[in-house]
Amino acid sequence: MLSTIKQQFPATNFALLALILLMPALGALINGLFGKRMGKDAVRLTALASIGGSFLASLVTFIVVASEPGSRVAWTAWRWFSVTGRMRQDVGIDLAFSADGLSATMLLIVTGVGFLIHLYSTGYMAKDKGFHRFFAYLNLFIFAMLTLVLGDNMAVMFIGWEGVGLASYLLIGFWYEDEKKAAAGKKAFIVNRIGDFGLIMAMVLLVWYSGSLRFEDMQQRSSGLLTQVTLWPVTDLHQTIMPHWLASALTPASPWRVSAATLIGIFLFLGCAGKSAQIPLYVWLPDAMAGPTPVSALIHAATMVTAGVYLVARTSFVFVLSPAALTIVQTTGALTALFAASIAFAQTDLKKVLAYSTVSQLGFMFIGVGSGAFGAGMFHVITHAFFKGCLFLCAGSVIHAMHHRIHDDVASQDMRNMGGLRRYLPLTHATFLLSCIAIAGIPPLAGFWSKDEILFRAFASHIAPASAAVWVPPAWWGKMIFFVGLTAAVCTAFYMFRAYFLTFWGEFRGWRVVANFRPKKHGGHGHGAGALAGPPPHESPGVMTVPLVILAGLAVVGGFLYAEPIHVAPLAHVLEPVFQKASQSVIVPEAAHGLVWPLMGAGVLAGVVGVAAAYYVYQVRGGAPARAFATSTGWFYRLVRDKWRIDELYQHTIVAATHAVAETAAAFDRWVIDGIIARLTAGTVALGGALLRAAHTGRVQVYAASMVAGVVGVGWFLVRPHADALVDTSGLRSSGRVSLTAASGHGYSYRWRTQDDDESVAYGNDKSYAVDLELCEKRTVFLGVKNAFNQAAERKYDLCRDANVPRAPGSQEAAACCSLDDAGRETAREWVRSKLKELDDTQKRLEETKRAPEGLLKSLEQRGIKVEQLPGPPPAPQPPSQGPGGRP
Amino acid sequence: MSAVPVPYFLVLAAVLFLIGAGGFLLRRNLLVLLMSIELMLNAVNLTLVAFNRLHPQSHGGQIFAFFVVAVAAAEAAVGLAIVLSFFRLRNTVRADEANTLKN
Repeated sequence: MLSTIKQQFPATNFALLALILLMPALGALINGLFGKRMGKDAVRLTALASIGGSFLASLVTFIVVASEPGSRVAWTAWRWFSVTGRMRQDVGIDLAFSADGLSATMLLIVTGVGFLIHLYSTGYMAKDKGFHRFFAYLNLFIFAMLTLVLGDNMAVMFIGWEGVGLASYLLIGFWYEDEKKAAAGKKAFIVNRIGDFGLIMAMVLLVWYSGSLRFEDMQQRSSGLLTQVTLWPVTDLHQTIMPHWLASALTPASPWRVSAATLIGIFLFLGCAGKSAQIPLYVWLPDAMAGPTPVSALIHAATMVTAGVYLVARTSFVFVLSPAALTIVQTTGALTALFAASIAFAQTDLKKVLAYSTVSQLGFMFIGVGSGAFGAGMFHVITHAFFKGCLFLCAGSVIHAMHHRIHDDVASQDMRNMGGLRRYLPLTHATFLLSCIAIAGIPPLAGFWSKDEILFRAFASHIAPASAAVWVPPAWWGKMIFFVGLTAAVCTAFYMFRAYFLTFWGEFRGWRVVANFRPKKHGGHGHGAGALAGPPPHESPGVMTVPLVILAGLAVVGGFLYAEPIHVAPLAHVLEPVFQKASQSVIVPEAAHGLVWPLMGAGVLAGVVGVAAAYYVYQVRGGAPARAFATSTGWFYRLVRDKWRIDELYQHTIVAATHAVAETAAAFDRWVIDGIIARLTAGTVALGGALLRAAHTGRVQVYAASMVAGVVGVGWFLVRPHADALVDTSGLRSSGRVSLTAASGHGYSYRWRTQDDDESVAYGNDKSYAVDLELCEKRTVFLGVKNAFNQAAERKYDLCRDANVPRAPGSQEAAACCSLDDAGRETAREWVRSKLKELDDTQKRLEETKRAPEGLLKSLEQRGIKVEQLPGPPPAPQPPSQGPGGRP
Repeated sequence: MSAVPVPYFLVLAAVLFLIGAGGFLLRRNLLVLLMSIELMLNAVNLTLVAFNRLHPQSHGGQIFAFFVVAVAAAEAAVGLAIVLSFFRLRNTVRADEANTLKN
């Protein structure tokens, strides 16, 4: 079976990849164009079939790739374009796709989790009027994400990168009638653009320093990335227009240089920070929760936001060359993990808690890849997709249930209105609990294994620098990251179980919120309607709970895909070969292996402490300690609740500055462009129009008269003779020859003469004429023309052959002899002649000297002396030989 | 028997053409203008036929004159139609009254 597939699809022409990509694209196209007319059932079928088919093809691809560790399949569509590299070589960029262990694993996540969430959405969105639009966007997202994952080079990956950004924007602002939601979409798009700037810069630098955009080629040629790049000064500032003192002040004593790898790494990470919501670009992700909940689950938790982690793993060969860039990745990840967790403490919106949790967990992934544990980082991507996807879908299920009761988007997501839901939503409760245990890091669920591996590697491993000059972080840095990560892990367990207890335990608090309840619409439910003034929340339909159960199941057992400490790691055989080369630089000391179990204990303890604290605070004491804390540290609590007011900070600094620039530009446009330049142009045109309008009398006779005048003018020109000639001076410098060619005309005859001839020269048919000039000679040529009407015209042409001569005899100052007066020029000609004669004499002597040895030889021979060989001139130095890479 | 020399025809044609051009430029009556155009066209016809005498092998000049006659007929038909509708519109045939497009 496997061999048949391999025969059908050879590794270099693996057309199955095209199928994986095309099915979602086709689904998006059909649903987008015809969805409205097809009806909901057909839309559902199209969407599910395209993703399901894509999943099956992905499964086959995964099996093919996994069957042989380190193997890779590729498919090239066509040559897209090419750019010129640093060596003036052509760098071809193909529209090509490939799948190795990393891509194939991501394929399964994207299409697998994607399919489950599509299935869930058919229930969740069933009553939405934008049903077909939703699935068109969702399919488009899957297509873009697959392009991102499968791209064989960075340019193709960038298409997908931008494509998922687009789909994300469209889906966040899916309910675009609500201005706040549309604004959230725009925010996500714009913040991501900042990151994309970094990605584009990284691509340009990578083409320049490695000569390719293909991941495989770049890895092989990564040594070029160790080139030192001068950041400042970019040029010799003293040569620019800036004043001297400023140039001196701006020029440092020694230029600032970094390796290309560090620069590229930082730019890449800027892109990753945008897409994967890391400090300082994380602000868009919590707002992105404005989209439908399945979107939050698929795009803003399971797949798209992990693209940054994927990119760091994919370009691991760049990062291992620069421990500095890796340290930035690791530290940013650790800070984000802790910072976002702190915000999650005070959120009351269930989806916001999950959103900040996602930001925090992405931070964990970056700790992983930043520590050189690329496999472990990617593994956390996978487990996170399971449990966070499940958590979001559970949240969706809860909101779905709450929405029946509270017809308000904000109130139906507020945990203060929930509580006790485990009685009404048993399946949702069970799956939510399992996922919470998984994310809290309690063994043996999925989150434990991935988080534990990341923290262990952050503690133990370090990067071997490529050379002694490369900066490396101090040894205690990784330990600090470990403790920050451990603290974030405690926080994670705490806020997740806070959300769990607030939502599912205690009494249902939703009874009190009945302001917008309209009993007529839901009269059919009627469970205990009279007393409670509304139906109680109820469990979601099967299409929604089945994905929950599957994802929760994966969250429970998923850890055993890569459980390194107990040596059950089937996924490692698929993923590790991809990072084999990069991992050679990542060193885990032998001594550290003894720390595996103690550190694991610390990790488990962190989870247990967090869960226990949440149980005590929110279950045993009913949230009283939290309220006491909030009142005792009022300003601090409000600061955390307001998300540390980072949005406000950005608003007043970056956004305000941008607005100021825009205002200035607008004022310039209004006053200078529109006020002065536009009015000036308009005035000129109006004036010209007024003048021309005066000539435009509307009387046909006036027009006819001007026509007659024109005809007369042209006729007069034709009747007059014109003594024009083309003067060819191309030979003037070398031989002194100037040739003139007269312009032809009706019945023309020509007369050529110089200033020495008088006017008696006869007219003839010779159109061309040539004169030979000596150096510094000036001659005037007269061209006479007579036409058919016997009218004559004459024109003179001054010709002179220039040379540099002394301004006066014996003078040191040089002058061009054509600019001298007649007497001066005559002296100059004398001087030139004498110099020419000198040259001639020298040449003659040289000739004689050359001939001398032959005469000598002859006379020696006559005297009977044999000369074997005359000493020749010393050998001329050889031109430097060309290397094999040089020009032929 | 000696034929009339070609230059005589050319001078006659030039005179006719000048009368036509002068009439076109100086008169205001649309009908006169049309007649002046006709006069100029026929002056050109005359030169075409006259020059053709210098090239007995070729009949291009004469044939061209026929074309000019045909075009002149068509032009007269269209021109007269315009004059007629203009007269209906403005109740005059003076060319300087045709200023509807101005201002």
